[in-house]
Amino acid sequence: MTHLLAQLFPPSVLRPMELGADASIVIATVAIAAFLTRKRRWGWLWREWLTTVDHKKIGIMYLIAAMLGLFRGGVDALLLRTQLAVPQNTFLGAEHYNEIFTTHGTIMVFFMAMPFIFALFNIAIPLMIGARDVAFPRLNAISFWLFAFAFLLFNMSFVVGGSPNAGWTAYAPLTELRFNPSVGENYYLLALQISGIGTIATGINFLVTILRLRAPGMTLMRMPLFAWSALITSSLIIFAFPALTVALALTMLDRLFGSSFFTIGHAGMPMMYVNLFWIWGHPEVYILVLPAFGIFSEVVATFSGKALFGYPAMVGSMIAISLLSYGVWVHHFFTMGAGAAVNAFFGISTMLIAIPTGVKVFNWIFTMWGGRVRTTCAMLWQLAFIPTFVIGGATGVMLAVVPGDYQFHNSYFLVAHFHNVLIGGVVFGLFSGLYYWWPKMFGYTLNERQGKWAFWFFLIGFWVTFFPQYLLGLEGMTRRIYIYPHGLGWSLPNLVSTGGAYAMGVGFVILVYSIAYSARHKDLDLTGDPWDGRTLEWSMPSPAPEYNFAVLPKVSTRDAWWTMKQAGRTSIRLGEIEPITLPKNTGMPFLLGLSFFVAGLGAVFSWWPVALAGLGGVLALLVWGWFVETGDHVIPAHEVRRSETLPGRLEA
Amino acid sequence: MPHARKTERGLLSLGGLLLLPRFEHSSGPWPQIVGYALSLLLTLAATLLVVHHLIAPLYLPAVILFLAVLQAGIQLGLFMHLREGVGPSWQIVALVLAGIVALGIVIFSIWIMAFKSGVS
Repeated sequence: MTHLLAQLFPPSVLRPMELGADASIVIATVAIAAFLTRKRRWGWLWREWLTTVDHKKIGIMYLIAAMLGLFRGGVDALLLRTQLAVPQNTFLGAEHYNEIFTTHGTIMVFFMAMPFIFALFNIAIPLMIGARDVAFPRLNAISFWLFAFAFLLFNMSFVVGGSPNAGWTAYAPLTELRFNPSVGENYYLLALQISGIGTIATGINFLVTILRLRAPGMTLMRMPLFAWSALITSSLIIFAFPALTVALALTMLDRLFGSSFFTIGHAGMPMMYVNLFWIWGHPEVYILVLPAFGIFSEVVATFSGKALFGYPAMVGSMIAISLLSYGVWVHHFFTMGAGAAVNAFFGISTMLIAIPTGVKVFNWIFTMWGGRVRTTCAMLWQLAFIPTFVIGGATGVMLAVVPGDYQFHNSYFLVAHFHNVLIGGVVFGLFSGLYYWWPKMFGYTLNERQGKWAFWFFLIGFWVTFFPQYLLGLEGMTRRIYIYPHGLGWSLPNLVSTGGAYAMGVGFVILVYSIAYSARHKDLDLTGDPWDGRTLEWSMPSPAPEYNFAVLPKVSTRDAWWTMKQAGRTSIRLGEIEPITLPKNTGMPFLLGLSFFVAGLGAVFSWWPVALAGLGGVLALLVWGWFVETGDHVIPAHEVRRSETLPGRLEA
Repeated sequence: MPHARKTERGLLSLGGLLLLPRFEHSSGPWPQIVGYALSLLLTLAATLLVVHHLIAPLYLPAVILFLAVLQAGIQLGLFMHLREGVGPSWQIVALVLAGIVALGIVIFSIWIMAFKSGVS
């Protein structure tokens, strides 16, 4: 018993900060449970959300998870920056600092950016291509619940058993059992493995959805750019994630079953882990940023009132980026010393990516050229993105110069670079998409004035945080150090950087406040087309009805909805409405996620009976889902008609 | 979903011809069950070969590689509905890409990791 308690609650989870987190988790859980009980909402929660297979609701749940991830990862970032604010700081110890930067990176990539992207895919893609749902609705729910329970599993680590501490990349031999005996890394391996299964399934789902479920007449070259980006991202996921699966699985075998794939002894090859990790890791960068490129392409066209400039070049450059992204991974470890030929090859392939990316930047600018640009919040993020991403890209080319990389490698220059592209590219893009598609999700727009405050705090905070980090890198400050002495010239830039991080935190708080404010003072979108949009999702009421399109649209051009508006073909004839068949809700995906969670938790602590019970549950649910559970429900035509003609909705 | 389209042709119809015959409906769970059992057996065989040193180390990688390719074929054929479906044969594109990516990973990894022999 004492052994079990020592395993569950080692000293690293009994520090004041972790105990405070325990308290707030308990309070929040009790508060939510009390609220649900008081309002009698448990049944509603199960029927409407936990069992849903509706892609829009799944998208909203991904969005909530992503905001939680952004909160947790952001708090981690502020803790790191607080420790580094002044020299010789004693706010966090070395081990604590390691745990927090590991969690920060892992959460931001896997449990913030990825779910945020899947949120927008789920919400927008079927609507943009004129589909009733994704190709495999139940698989979509399975993907979400695997992700959600993996997120829960990963987040448990810092209050039960101890956090992972080997960096978000979890390089061998830092993860080797004899150097790192705590269960923290097991959490990392199992949680990422479980969410990775969901991610691959999502990739397959959206690939098939986009290839097979487009509205009649929507050829590939008539698809909105965001659909193109989702198609390419899905194929990147399918081809890149298995490498991560293998890297994580082999590390898990090393840690839990005594194999020696990546160990120092017994002829293991630690560098092979690094190689496998980045075979996934570099395509992953484009898995994150291509959707943002897609969002920007929609936003810039809509708010410039013009068709996107150079559509075929945009598609071609995205395909070129995706192909090149498979051939650059060694630039993450030039300093391994693979030799001049290898490094030269990968240095040049890396620089080549700048060409199609530059094409896209020019096309976004030319789209605005001569247009009537409306500076809404969605568009502001796009406008901020272009210069920010160009600078991030330029420092990336600097890092691709191999001799230079030997200087920049693992310095704050690198830290500044990847935050510059990941925040300036991905996060700005996701915020842009959040503002853009919010009315389609909830039926009201977010408050623009508060949104602009959030934008400026976040943007200025971003530059104040990360520009000094470039200088710190050039001054020789390496990443992942938790303490530094006086007199190196690092003190002022670090202090400034920390100030900027807090400004970004303020921007996030304003954003969250603005969401709450907008939800109370609903600025309803009665038209379904608040931005004068160009693509099909704006042809339906807001929020999008359960069945998406009362009548599936027929597409004859790019920017299909814009063409329909120009031709005055915006209304649907009630006589055309037919009964609509949709898949039934099911609890199986939620229970499958729960079973994986139990299996994962068992494996983390090597409680094999628990792990096997979880896997047994997985198998049972798969068989049950396969043989027993089928079924659709039909929405009668009169209900569709009533819903379409509700007051304030489309005129019929 | 009810509205999978059958009309799309063009770029990929040539690929479709290569994999005739193609079925509209899956033939029940038996291929999957057989495929699952065969996959388990092949994995078990590979594990036993390594754990119990049943083959000389010189030939071991080749044998394991063979078992892996065999298993990949079984999974593609029996799990992945490779020969089912209507419409364009996107799976041909996917398979060709997968082959290129897999080969690329192997060849480049050998090239990259060969540094050990160069410096030590």
